[in-house]
Amino acid sequence: MANTAVPARRAPTRRSSRPGRAVTEVSRASAWTRWARMVFLVPAVLYVVFAFLIPIVYNLILSFEQTSPATISSLFAPWAGIANYKGALVQAVTQSAIIRTFTFTFLSLLFQFVIGFGLALLFNLRFPLRRVARSLIIIPWLLPLLITGFIFKFLFQTEAGAVNQILADVHLVSHPIGFLTTPGWAYLTVLIANIWIGIPFFTVLLYSALQDVPLELKEAAMLDGANAWHRLFRVTLPVIRPVIEVVFVLGFVFTIKVFDVVIGLTQGGPANSTQLLAPWAYNLSFQQFDYGQGAALNTILLLIALLAAPVYIWLNRESLRRA
Amino acid sequence: MSRQRPFTAALAALGALVALVFLLFPLYAVIVGSFENNNQLLGTHYNFLPPTPSFANYSAVISTQGGHIVSTLIIGLFTALLVLVIALPAAHALARYRFRVTAMLVGGLLIAQILPAIVIANSLFLIYHKLHLLNTYPGLILADASYGVPFSILVLRAFMLGLPNDVLQAARVDGASEWKTFVRIVLPMSRSAVITIAVFAFLNGWGDFIFALTLLSGSSFEPITLSIYSYIGEFTSNIGEALALCVIGILPAAMLLIAAQRYIAAGLTVGSVKG
Repeated sequence: MANTAVPARRAPTRRSSRPGRAVTEVSRASAWTRWARMVFLVPAVLYVVFAFLIPIVYNLILSFEQTSPATISSLFAPWAGIANYKGALVQAVTQSAIIRTFTFTFLSLLFQFVIGFGLALLFNLRFPLRRVARSLIIIPWLLPLLITGFIFKFLFQTEAGAVNQILADVHLVSHPIGFLTTPGWAYLTVLIANIWIGIPFFTVLLYSALQDVPLELKEAAMLDGANAWHRLFRVTLPVIRPVIEVVFVLGFVFTIKVFDVVIGLTQGGPANSTQLLAPWAYNLSFQQFDYGQGAALNTILLLIALLAAPVYIWLNRESLRRA
Repeated sequence: MSRQRPFTAALAALGALVALVFLLFPLYAVIVGSFENNNQLLGTHYNFLPPTPSFANYSAVISTQGGHIVSTLIIGLFTALLVLVIALPAAHALARYRFRVTAMLVGGLLIAQILPAIVIANSLFLIYHKLHLLNTYPGLILADASYGVPFSILVLRAFMLGLPNDVLQAARVDGASEWKTFVRIVLPMSRSAVITIAVFAFLNGWGDFIFALTLLSGSSFEPITLSIYSYIGEFTSNIGEALALCVIGILPAAMLLIAAQRYIAAGLTVGSVKG
């Protein structure tokens, strides 16, 4: 992929001490051409400023302001120092939401990886209709997330839910389980829904990585007498490690901000037992109308998401190097 | 691989079947439920097939939610259009020319990709309030494009970096302008990547809930995600209609998967796609 610039880099350059095709192109381009090229970037730069930069900066400002429904109309509100952060963090719901977001993310990723990798290994075998099966498995990833939440609410209702009814029909339970009405079960139900959403992503990425494992490597290991278990851990896993890293980083980023599924299933209840950071920040801003505290919590969510940034950029270093 | 035994194949097929039954059961249950009436849906036994299949829920939903379905379609299509208009030229420039800011821009896009939508929504609500963009199509579509813009530029740029350089050089030698080279040569050659990002941008707009929830309140239009959200409040009274609307909400994803499977698999493989 990166080979367009490589030969030029090796070729001796007479005029410029800096190698590379692209550089010579810049020096040859007239000022007019350079401006014409910049025009291509204008819509994107304007958009990024409008949709990302300004909202993020504004959120940061808001988190240090004393807001109220009355301050909505003015651009800025009185300075509040760190009162919003204090106010949000002293609440027991906030503290448990932060911890719960981490356990939820950890458990989601763990099960998504185990199930996704298992399915990827399965699809790596040859069997009839595996193409059809492989494309059907993508569907959960493409659905509107709120609809997924609603579907799981429908399935996990207490009396009329399919899960309880089927469990009763096979005599696994005698009384319907309050999947959405008891705190522990509700957490588990939201977790199951979220794992369900992410399985296709893990499966498809890990499957395509498995496709790239050179057959000779496996055969060589087989000749050396390595059993299936050894081949998996000594050959396959090390080779696909870069993809595993990407999948986990992106999975972390997706899961840390889970919102729609919680709203569709439980709206954070019962008794805030499924409250995660994103829905709780929404609750503070839009249901308690405390935009300042909502913004403070959003800043915390943002910082957690940005933990992934250095790793994500490092994993994409190749595309930056080509810049 | 060629040494694989028939027994292994049968076992694998069985495993895949079991996995698919578990993974696709939720969708199956919703489709079955959408053909049942409220009494059957709230009964105490599970029906694997609708006892008295009927389209009543669908006709009810089309008459009460028809306008919202059209609105959702408008939002999805214009989100895709906006993402293309922003991403195509930017990806071309970032792939073809070298700017002093290229590394910074690509890094910025990677970071933009991981910003949670709820953080942006919270700020945009207050900003839109002042710009009078709340409850408007342009406001919502501008916000919905944020799911797709960073991803699309990065994916397109990666694709365009792989285009053969000599064709573009030839065009330049022939005296084609930057714009002409982009429209006549780069765009047609990037067709498959363009379809991939258009499909995902459409699905982002179609399925968005966060921005609709925060940036619309009592507006003249609403996407179906908001309609489904309001069904949650009256869960048991109209469950059949809500399920029919869910099936309609799932339809584009299913249809696009059939029509553009290869592009969707490509988009998934290249990287992150969800808001």
